[in-house]
Amino acid sequence: MELSTLCTPSRLNAYLSRAEPINQVTTITSRVATRLLMVCGLLLATSACQQQDDSQVPNGLVYCSEGNPESFNPQIVTSGTTIDATSHQIYSRLIDDNTSSSEFLPALASSWTVSDDGLVYEFELRHGVKFHTTRFFTPSREMNADDVVFSFSRIIDTENPFHETAQRGFPFFDSIGFNKLIKQISKVDQYRVRFELNYPDASFLANMATDFAVVLSQEYAEQLLLQGTPQLLDTNAVGTGPYQLVEYVKNQYIRYRRNPDYWGEQPESEQLVFDITPRSTVRLSKLIVGDCSISALPKAGELQVAKQHDDLEVDSRPGMNVAYWALNTKKPPFDDVRVRQALAYAIDKRSLLNAVYHDTAVVAAGILPPSSWAFPDENVELQYNPAKAKSLLAAAGVKNLTIDIWAMPVARSYNPNPQKTAELIQADLKAVGIRVNIISFDWSVFTQRLASSNYDSVLIGWSADNSDPDNFFTPLLSCGSIQSHNNWANWCHKGFDTLLRQAKNITDEQERKVLYRAAEEIIGQEVPVIPLAYAQRMLLKRKNAPYVQLLPFGGIAFDKVSQPEPVGGRH
Amino acid sequence: MGRTKLYLDDDIPSHSKRVWRLFAAKPQALIGLWGVVILLLLSCFGPYIAPYAAEYQDQSALLMPPSWSNQGAVSHFLGTDDLGRDIFSRLLHGAQYTFGVALLVVISALFAGVIIGSISGMMRGLKSSILGHLLDALLSIPSLLMAILVVAVTGPGLSNVFWAVGISLTPQFVRSIHQTVHDELQKEYVTAATLDGANPLQIFWYVIMPNVWDTVIIQTTLAMSAAILDIAALGFLNLGAQAPMPEWGSMIMQGLDNFLFAPWTVTIPGISILLSVLAVNLVGDGLRSALAPMRN
Amino acid sequence: MGRYLIRRLNLFLATTLALFIILFVATRWFPADLSYALSGVALPTTQQQLQIEQDYALHSNVISQFLAYVTERLSGNFGISVTSRQSVLNELAGVLPPSFELAFVAGIIALLCGIPLGMLSALSRSKMVQKTIMAATLTGYSIPVFWLGLLLSLWFGIELGLLPISGQINLLYQIPKVTGFMLFDTLLYNGDYKWNAFADVLAHIILPACTLAVLPFTVVVRITRAAMLNVMNQTYIRAAEARGLPYHTIVLKHALPNALIPLLKHLGLMLGPFASYAIVVEVIFSWPGVGAWLVSGIYQRDYTVIQAGIFAVALVIIFFSILIEVLYTAANPMSRKEMYGTN
Repeated sequence: MELSTLCTPSRLNAYLSRAEPINQVTTITSRVATRLLMVCGLLLATSACQQQDDSQVPNGLVYCSEGNPESFNPQIVTSGTTIDATSHQIYSRLIDDNTSSSEFLPALASSWTVSDDGLVYEFELRHGVKFHTTRFFTPSREMNADDVVFSFSRIIDTENPFHETAQRGFPFFDSIGFNKLIKQISKVDQYRVRFELNYPDASFLANMATDFAVVLSQEYAEQLLLQGTPQLLDTNAVGTGPYQLVEYVKNQYIRYRRNPDYWGEQPESEQLVFDITPRSTVRLSKLIVGDCSISALPKAGELQVAKQHDDLEVDSRPGMNVAYWALNTKKPPFDDVRVRQALAYAIDKRSLLNAVYHDTAVVAAGILPPSSWAFPDENVELQYNPAKAKSLLAAAGVKNLTIDIWAMPVARSYNPNPQKTAELIQADLKAVGIRVNIISFDWSVFTQRLASSNYDSVLIGWSADNSDPDNFFTPLLSCGSIQSHNNWANWCHKGFDTLLRQAKNITDEQERKVLYRAAEEIIGQEVPVIPLAYAQRMLLKRKNAPYVQLLPFGGIAFDKVSQPEPVGGRH
Repeated sequence: MGRTKLYLDDDIPSHSKRVWRLFAAKPQALIGLWGVVILLLLSCFGPYIAPYAAEYQDQSALLMPPSWSNQGAVSHFLGTDDLGRDIFSRLLHGAQYTFGVALLVVISALFAGVIIGSISGMMRGLKSSILGHLLDALLSIPSLLMAILVVAVTGPGLSNVFWAVGISLTPQFVRSIHQTVHDELQKEYVTAATLDGANPLQIFWYVIMPNVWDTVIIQTTLAMSAAILDIAALGFLNLGAQAPMPEWGSMIMQGLDNFLFAPWTVTIPGISILLSVLAVNLVGDGLRSALAPMRN
Repeated sequence: MGRYLIRRLNLFLATTLALFIILFVATRWFPADLSYALSGVALPTTQQQLQIEQDYALHSNVISQFLAYVTERLSGNFGISVTSRQSVLNELAGVLPPSFELAFVAGIIALLCGIPLGMLSALSRSKMVQKTIMAATLTGYSIPVFWLGLLLSLWFGIELGLLPISGQINLLYQIPKVTGFMLFDTLLYNGDYKWNAFADVLAHIILPACTLAVLPFTVVVRITRAAMLNVMNQTYIRAAEARGLPYHTIVLKHALPNALIPLLKHLGLMLGPFASYAIVVEVIFSWPGVGAWLVSGIYQRDYTVIQAGIFAVALVIIFFSILIEVLYTAANPMSRKEMYGTN
């Protein structure tokens, strides 16, 4: 009681004004003592207040995220950090993935039809959806077919003024060959959009449900064009999602406000703040202290700390992801398949799993994780064998090799600690006589710098964007994906590409599974990448925090009000 | 055969002897000196007495607490880090990076400082003033900022730390030596030597220099503690020594990931840094008070 | 006095010029395209490229390039940040006030605690007190600040759960930026949670400020002690004693003001190390100041941010050290003769 009354302003002032009698204090020591007392008292008072005011902060949710977003439009990125900050907060898609089955949920499209030949898709749009009203834009109309056509033709139409503003292209769409796939996007009527394809694609709907396929406002784009600032489309974001962007301060925070006109169920929190905290230890500390209520990407070792605190809990689910080590096959000596195989034999994935993932992950045999339906029944992994690695290196005539490994300094969902991983690999390779330099840049510039340099190898990974197994192959290792800077191995294999195309054109799961197994075998022999682990997706939260949803593919959503019933199925 | 002393001389101790006596009279200064000697020995021989190699990973003992804890083992005296590397061995290996490199930097900066400082101290007028301004500008860039600038140009690494800390220490040497030389030049005994026909070089070397050494010694101990702290801070910020190098500051940075559940990975390297700097500062304090009566 | 001030102003200008030269040379050595290092535009359109080349006179000789560089920087064009694509000047304006706030609070703590303790150790006749204080300051002087910050945050933040350990304020409070100084802004703010926000800001600043105060505190104690010992032996103190003035009057009125003069001078010399410490403290406590901004700038190789940050911090240090020197001269009659000296 005493403490809480102390916290009221008048008492605080009274406390401060106790400093007055100092004039009468005669000896220096007692003067010091009074001052110290005063400072201590002030400290105590404020710290006591700190403990009390949990209920006295504005309604909202603070999420400790791991880094700066590169932009505020998921169309133009592949980084999970940006997706988390934008895709399910600011924007909505035509259709959404269903958490419990491989069907899709209606979102901005209330229904859709597919023609029998699989070449024409028609989406019926939801009525009465409003775009965000922000400081810089007030919508005059509701969302309609124009917005959808604009959002997607921006990606494929090189004449579109907003095609240019995406200076690094549309990596996801480029990697799946979206511009070759789409013949035409047309507005049938005000609330009906038709996508015509050049060839059938079994993964089309899955791709439309990915975090990248968001709908932008055409009206806003036109306004920006008139103002002469088209590049603001991707930074001052306007969407139809549950939250709207209020403020972004680099390295510090992103602030969102609840969208009062949201077409779905209103989220519980009035405010959503992403507290940008690159260090996972700091994220955990903030969570314990209560500065944030949910925290992203914990390191495996931190789970035990969370368990010691009664008010924290761990939210984990098997991830659709894979961490791998990509070797730049365009650069000698990695153009020699024997060198690549030697590297695969030389690293001990079990010790890596133990030290980096604390056994929360599964050793990766191939690129496809076990949670995918196409996961092969037997694996093609190259087992740890340093002796074989040495003989392969000798056969390739490689001596005194020094290689660079690029490893990012921040956790990703597929790898909680790439730096440590690199150090372990460094020690393993030392045993076969290869020296390793570790290169590291902040995540927000990591891929950019990687793309513009002649790197040797990189520790990276991939989280699935949709349930289709093709999502692990075409965007990562096909010839077409070299251009879009997702194929970090710079690897192009004709037979492999043919397999992928065949698999995409058929719908029978068993047949596709056989083809993907064959593709995995090629990867196992050619070793453009060395798969390391399939990680669990984890989230730390305070027990009293509102429910958040780890989406099955990639992102995170804060808009769900309550926890849904537990579901069976493949998770 | 020693000579027999026939007469009782008044034993007049030399300058250095007097300083030593005053210095040795303080126990804490002696403790500091022992600390510095041990650190010097470790910087030279640390790797040979360490039980494990710096990068040896013991997969069966990840994050083992120090031996006095219940879960600890004597085989890893100060425990291990999250890759199973022995912290005690890493500290021994790391002494040469933290303390050894600091010593190298200080000696290099000292050389540069003595040369530039003496020349500029002997000069007068515009040249001296231009140099002064340039030095002031360099001096106003704190060591960490200088390091950031150097890292931006060359990329992180221990060799760049050498340059960064060196560049930020040199102006301090230059300044204090410049000031001392300048002050000494005004004194009468220098004028006396000039009147005796000594040329500037002789004046500098035989007349002024003996009076500058005290300043140099004090400045060196100050610089030494600053250099250790700077190297460690840069390692901590991941701008200096890069993983897996066992530089002490960078060990703290690497241990930070486990700080909340394995605090010894952070506290133990931190205590080593604290003790080293404390030893250097104790020596510095002792020297300062030993030299003080003579300087006044 | 006027002539002296002009000389100091001259010193300020010359040092700034030297700073420009250092930065200009460093910029040319950055491992990046020169126009990119100068402007921060990663993928310029042809039009932007031309504009940059024109602004920085990239096709002229080095001298006119340098002049163009200085002109651009002085007119407030620091380019854009490659990470956020926002103007570096705006970002700088956002991160400077929190740094000043932290440094100011830390300085106040150091002075309020350091001066009395320094006096105590000088005036106390107990060897115990003297030795304890000196040992404490020596330890404080030797402690690596990043380690201290970590230990404090582990103890007060995590173990005891008393104080927040990161950031400037709980982010749910949405305080409009008026002055940029959070302590003032929360007081100016007229919303529902005004006093909660103010208490929260106070709680957030305690740990970083105390960590940062350790270095100046130890220096203040030592200098005050030395100066006090020196002053108490002066004849005018004995004269005051002879007149029968009470002890505390002698100490507070006669001795202390004179002992503070050398303190002022040493404060000026301490600015550089203080700034280094502040950078580290900001990083540890995620304080949204110029130090943390600069360090993330180097992790992101954001060259425009690096230049602007170094320029701003160094300029602030130059300015304050000259200001303190002027104040010192104004406060100290003994040093006024230097005003006319040749030196």
